Amino acid sequence: MRVLIVEDEKSLVDIIKKGLEEEGYAVDVAYDGEDGLFTAENEPSDVIVLDIMLPVIDGMTILKKIRKAGVKTPVLMLTARDTVMDKVSGLDSGADDYLTKPFHFEELLARLRALIRRGSEVNASVVEIGDLTVNIATHEVRRGGKDVLLSAREYSLLEYMAVNRNKVLSRTLLSEHLYDHDFDLDSNVIDVFINRIRNKIDRGFNTKLIHTIRGAGYMIKE
Amino acid sequence: MGVLFMTLSTLGVFLYFGLSEIVYDSIDSSLLSRAKVLATLINDSDYKTDFNFSDEMMWEYNSPKAGLFFQIRRFDGTTTEKSESLGDSDLPFQTGEKQMNFETILLNGVPARMVNFYIPYNGGKGVRGTGKGMKSKRSGLIIQCAKSIEEQTELLQNYLIVLSLSILFIMVISASGGFLIAKKALTPIKEMSETIDRISESNLSERVNVENIPEELRVLASSFNRTFDSLERSFNRQRQFTADASHELRTPLSVILSQSEVMLRKERTAEEYKNALTAIGEVAGMMSQIVRKLLTITRLGADKVELKIEDIDPGEIISESVKLLTPLAEQKGAGINVSVPDRFVVRGDRAALLELFVNIIDNAIKYNVPQGKIDISVKKETGFIISEIKDTGIGIPKSDLGRVSDRFYRVDKSRSRDLRGVGLGLSICEEIIKLHGGRIEIKSKAGEGTTVSVYLKATAYVT
Repeated sequence: MRVLIVEDEKSLVDIIKKGLEEEGYAVDVAYDGEDGLFTAENEPSDVIVLDIMLPVIDGMTILKKIRKAGVKTPVLMLTARDTVMDKVSGLDSGADDYLTKPFHFEELLARLRALIRRGSEVNASVVEIGDLTVNIATHEVRRGGKDVLLSAREYSLLEYMAVNRNKVLSRTLLSEHLYDHDFDLDSNVIDVFINRIRNKIDRGFNTKLIHTIRGAGYMIKE
Repeated sequence: MGVLFMTLSTLGVFLYFGLSEIVYDSIDSSLLSRAKVLATLINDSDYKTDFNFSDEMMWEYNSPKAGLFFQIRRFDGTTTEKSESLGDSDLPFQTGEKQMNFETILLNGVPARMVNFYIPYNGGKGVRGTGKGMKSKRSGLIIQCAKSIEEQTELLQNYLIVLSLSILFIMVISASGGFLIAKKALTPIKEMSETIDRISESNLSERVNVENIPEELRVLASSFNRTFDSLERSFNRQRQFTADASHELRTPLSVILSQSEVMLRKERTAEEYKNALTAIGEVAGMMSQIVRKLLTITRLGADKVELKIEDIDPGEIISESVKLLTPLAEQKGAGINVSVPDRFVVRGDRAALLELFVNIIDNAIKYNVPQGKIDISVKKETGFIISEIKDTGIGIPKSDLGRVSDRFYRVDKSRSRDLRGVGLGLSICEEIIKLHGGRIEIKSKAGEGTTVSVYLKATAYVT
């Protein structure tokens, strides 16, 4: 899952980025409104964390502009203002959720999960594909009742495929959601991760869940 | 009201008793003279008592309607003569009385005034000294003379009624009049107090309308308004402080929360913990700086500071500020050039002005380019001592010039946060200069630098 953080307080961005990356998210960062607007419109993100008070262009304006440009990515507004009017105008401008500073990191994680779920038609926090269960809240993965241990990136890739199950996902798309734009997009790395995940969840099972769609990419389905 | 009633009642009582005394006195004296006249007509001797009452004299006493009565008794109470008007009744009598006295009696249910006039037996001599009787076994005579005072009593009663009614009337009139006057006079006060009641924490801007208020109350109303003005100002300051503080502290608090929470999610290396604690420490340091500066502004703005006003040479304060900031300037490689050609004198508080210049020169250093220059000069112009601090820094975009002294404004937030600025310095300067009756002017061009001019009133003399 790829998250864009638009926030001008560098020390806050640093620690959120670190925490999210440890959770398996790919994190893009913009420190001002201009950069934030550009990134939101040009990089694929699964969710955007948007501060309201920003240099150059404020968060509310960014939100209106990206919605007008047709970007449907869920947006979590982050702000120091907490009056009801602020919340209402934020939500009316097209924000999907609202988090007031100071916030707990766990709450940020939970809200991001909820937004991603909403954006991907998955309604529960546990995604089931046959006898494979992916718990988005706890990151626990089980196949046939047994725990599967995955690295953060492996999990992240599996989670993305799981919430987008039954859809063909190209290597480019997968890498875009697995890595932030600081990485060179070499889609071969996706093949490597797919192999590792296959070894952990499909090996020893008659029913294979991860399918290679020749010339198109990968898909997870029963 | 009560006082008025008491006064009128007392006055009424005095009037009533005064009048009744006058009435009774005149009756009494006429009774006495009647008794004396009767006495002169009596020829009392050892042998017999003659009443030479002529008919002319007696006609007055004939009819009970005339209301005049007399009765002549011996000292033992036996009646020797009485007026026709008495008919079968007697005037009341008590033996033993030896002094002339007056009393009010009831005669056949009619009030009357009566005198008991004693004539001691004088040995047969007439009252007027005629005769020569020596025998003393006979007692003297008492002439009782009475006059109906029905009319007078009635008069007095009427008077009493009129008096009471008058008092009542006066009371009612004065009460209602007073009420009306009071109501008219109190209406504006009532309105004022209603307005004041309406003024609350959430509605501090409401004021008493001075125009609809009578002249006499305007002073009171305006002083109320002034009080509420200053209350509103200080309240707004407090509110602003709370809003600013909560707003500006929320982000660093988020950093601290996130740092600790992310760090505690799993086991870390000592290096990671160290970095996290350093970051938390830095953020907390910034928070305490924000709180300290906010408190300074609030205190300055609330007029709570007591300035120690003395003669001050701005040049001296500037040199002192530069000395304090030299390490920072050296770190940045900024060259500070101070040119103060003369000694100037302004009136001001040394500590406050030092804070002012330190803040401004600190900004000039912080927002300067590396190896930049800062020129400081002091001059006198049209009654002001103008201290100019000119830097070759990043400047302020034209669109932002009006906002520089807004709280928490920073030219380039993402860049200047590294410089540890919290955006409160100029707000503090504004408060200080306001207290000194001066002003700060800022001219700037983005990329070229900023010139800050501090205007302080020049004192009339130069040392």
